Amino acid sequence: MSATTAYQTFIGLEIHIQLLTETKAFCSCTVGFGDEPNTNICPVCLGYPGVLPALNEQALFMAYQVAAALNCDISPIAVFDRKNYFYPDMPKNYQISQFGSPIGRNGFIEFPFNDGIRKIRIHDVHLEEDAGKMIHAGDISLVDYNRAGTPLLEIVTEPDLSSGDETEAFIHYFRRFVRYLEVCDGNMEEGSLRCDANISINTPGAGLGTKVEVKNLNSSRFVRLALDYEETRQQKVLEEGSSIQQETRLWNENRDLTVVMRRKEESHDYRYFPEPDLPPFRPSRDYLEKVTGSLPELPLSRQIRMAEQYSLEAEPAAFISEERERADFFEESVSAGAVPVDLYNWMSGDVLRHLNRAHLGLGESTLTPKRLADLLRLISEGKIHGKIAKKVLQIIFEEDQDPEQILEERGLEQITDEGEIRGLVRRVISEDPAAAAQAAAGEMKVYGYFMGLIMKMSGGRADPQTARRVLEEEIAQEKQ
Amino acid sequence: MFWDEKEDWTYRLDSREKTDGYASRVREIDRSIGAFLEFDPHRLSDLANANGAETSSGTHTESSAKTASGMETSSGAGQYPELDGLPIAVKDNIAVEGFRLSCGSKILADLTAPYTATAVQKLIDEGARIVGKTNLDEFGMGSSTDNSALQRTHNPWDPSRVAGGSSGGSAAAVAAGMVPCALGTDTGGSIRQPASFCGVYGLKPTYGSVSRFGLVAYASSLEVIGVLSASLSLMRTVFDAMKGEDGRDQTSGLDTPIPAETRRIGVLKQPEGLAPGVQRAYEKTIRELQGLGCETVEFDLPILEYVIPAYYTIASAEASANLARYAGIRYGYQNELAEDPRELTETSRDEGFGQEVKMRILLGTFVLRSGFQEQYYIRAQKIRTALRNELDLLFGQMDLLMLPTFPVQAFEHDSSEMDQFQQKVADKFTATANLAGIPALAFPVGIEEGLPVGMQFMAPMHGEERLFKAAERYRRVFTPQLAPAAGRERSRS
Repeated sequence: MSATTAYQTFIGLEIHIQLLTETKAFCSCTVGFGDEPNTNICPVCLGYPGVLPALNEQALFMAYQVAAALNCDISPIAVFDRKNYFYPDMPKNYQISQFGSPIGRNGFIEFPFNDGIRKIRIHDVHLEEDAGKMIHAGDISLVDYNRAGTPLLEIVTEPDLSSGDETEAFIHYFRRFVRYLEVCDGNMEEGSLRCDANISINTPGAGLGTKVEVKNLNSSRFVRLALDYEETRQQKVLEEGSSIQQETRLWNENRDLTVVMRRKEESHDYRYFPEPDLPPFRPSRDYLEKVTGSLPELPLSRQIRMAEQYSLEAEPAAFISEERERADFFEESVSAGAVPVDLYNWMSGDVLRHLNRAHLGLGESTLTPKRLADLLRLISEGKIHGKIAKKVLQIIFEEDQDPEQILEERGLEQITDEGEIRGLVRRVISEDPAAAAQAAAGEMKVYGYFMGLIMKMSGGRADPQTARRVLEEEIAQEKQ
Repeated sequence: MFWDEKEDWTYRLDSREKTDGYASRVREIDRSIGAFLEFDPHRLSDLANANGAETSSGTHTESSAKTASGMETSSGAGQYPELDGLPIAVKDNIAVEGFRLSCGSKILADLTAPYTATAVQKLIDEGARIVGKTNLDEFGMGSSTDNSALQRTHNPWDPSRVAGGSSGGSAAAVAAGMVPCALGTDTGGSIRQPASFCGVYGLKPTYGSVSRFGLVAYASSLEVIGVLSASLSLMRTVFDAMKGEDGRDQTSGLDTPIPAETRRIGVLKQPEGLAPGVQRAYEKTIRELQGLGCETVEFDLPILEYVIPAYYTIASAEASANLARYAGIRYGYQNELAEDPRELTETSRDEGFGQEVKMRILLGTFVLRSGFQEQYYIRAQKIRTALRNELDLLFGQMDLLMLPTFPVQAFEHDSSEMDQFQQKVADKFTATANLAGIPALAFPVGIEEGLPVGMQFMAPMHGEERLFKAAERYRRVFTPQLAPAAGRERSRS
């Protein structure tokens, strides 16, 4: 990104994901976003006097799934700690988190980048609770506690990323990863996946530089822009002979730059200590086996396997394995008889267009792997051709019917009977003898004109290849 | 009118008339004691009836009016019939929906509890009547109840003296004959010390045997809800009804009782700093236990000298986080003139908390600073572990331990011989059980200089039966009596 390559860049991330649990981390309130403010609350998540947290087992299990999928060393004992700081949206003014003995440590994750595979080390994975939301409106500040107590998983990477581009690709992959695990919806705009970055630069071989933390990164694009900006800013500082200040900066998306939020000396002392209200959790061997047994095939391995198994190029393989649902759909369609390359073309083309138009996911739509495979089979059997197939697909989406039923009920099946087609051809020729003469004289344009008439007359059902052949035969007849 | 000749509480709040009679008598007694911060024996049944009327959907005003006048009794189908209609007072740091939950603090003075503590709910389910909330040292921090920001409580034996603390209101209410038993909380001796000051029994159960859900946290890893009563059998019943695992308190567990062996009793060798009256009573108790056929074995516990520093380090550290939620934002005292959230929190806390509470929050914040934990907090935890190990060794040889509860008897209000620091040092005999998590029972052993004196038994984890059995045996040589004012009450009946 920068003008000079005299520096090495080190980027690490602190990623927060909101776990897709039904209830909050320590009480039985519903997790619900976009609900009326302060409706999903109770004495526990409001921090009323005398209440105690009761750990959500679903959240704990998800935390172990992520730690295992990130190849972490699983702590034999997971301890919760109190992280102390005052903020109006935090009901207890301490956050239940993990510090000394988190769920997992020393893991790694691999992700595709620039036609290769990159490996990023994971420092730790720990479970904590979210705060509420403060809304400042003019003179007043409002607090909505619906989000307070929602389970959050924090994943801290080592500073193994080296550019804004790479970091953007990593975040894209990480989103895919948590969606595959079905532990988070990965929505950065809505804040269910959040990310702070730390970046330092140094001359090659000199190790890490002075770290600057960047916050307020609400999309992977902002992450890239902010890191590129920081990289350049830090290089300028060093080149001017000054030194980097250890500080926290905020990305300003309107001005495309970072600004200082707080200096090192203003940083909090969180006074961590073990949460006396929650006993440490010691996962049994059975429990951990259940965790590993529940893990799906992860996106990168699936992408590689599918590319090989279905002889797909890199791009189709990446598309097909982008979402777990899509990959499952693809493989089920193949099992139902679809040819992989054709299937990819349909899924990345018309199917995707329909879904996008209707704002639907594959799972929510009326298209099933069986239906799509049947549709492709009807094409390859010559029962319908492309144009009709698109129409059938639309009917599947709109009316929830099987392709064969649609053909039958609407008479959409292709006309392949040569006699029937010849009748149509003769009719169009006889209705426009002048054009027929032109065609016979070798004007190829006119063939297209006749083909159009034939298709129109047959309601699009005439098999185009047969029609063309018969048309040529009949024109040749005209010549004689 | 409340007791029979065997001194068992017989008065049941089983009709509106009897409850009215009871209420007016208690109000009269409490005028000179100040045990209750809120007293209303009708409150819960009125609320229940109101809710019943609400849910039975509007129009049936006639029938709900009928229920309101008639519904003073419960089904009585509980597991413990002796609790049905029994008045019980609850320390005002335990949540009872519909009653205040002040914790003796200005910062929560106007808070009404929005839910009920598990332990209390279990008693209500047995038909017990929660009659009111008792005074305490602010958030349980103190040994006199004089640290309450709301009211003074006087010792029923001598109104110039304190009732002890922090469960002083509960102890005074029992000793003055206003209730047969009261709930307290014990973080470092807060049930046992006032029980001894007022001449009643005080049980601090095994940590985790009674759910803490609804107990306003001061020092989470040390405290537990317990019982104060003049009757051992009633105390046992209340404990049995309250105990057990609670899904809302993950530190609670099943009660797994141990054999009720009580013959070999360890007695602390030469406890230091006892006032003459307490020293005499201590020696007398040892002789009497021997006279009752117990084998007493002297034990030394040098680590006792480290109990207080360790206890106050851990308690303050936990308190500094536990009390952080009182920020003037969602509930409680609020400085309405504050201009922004930060000022709101700072000034509300400054104006809402008392001196002792602020001191402990500061102390806790100090010991938890990063870089200093090894020196304070972690060191205190090491002492805690070492203490547990030493007690384990002792319990390998002895069934029970007997120690003084407090080095002095009830002292005078604002006494200069017992300043805040001296009161803390004096907690060493009681705080031992809290650091170790073991159960302990304070029992009255006599009257010295016109005031009650108490000692305490300690047992291994889940050894409550040992405590009850030993105290029951000791009753043969000394039967506790209620304070003289309560005695007058009895003679009337």
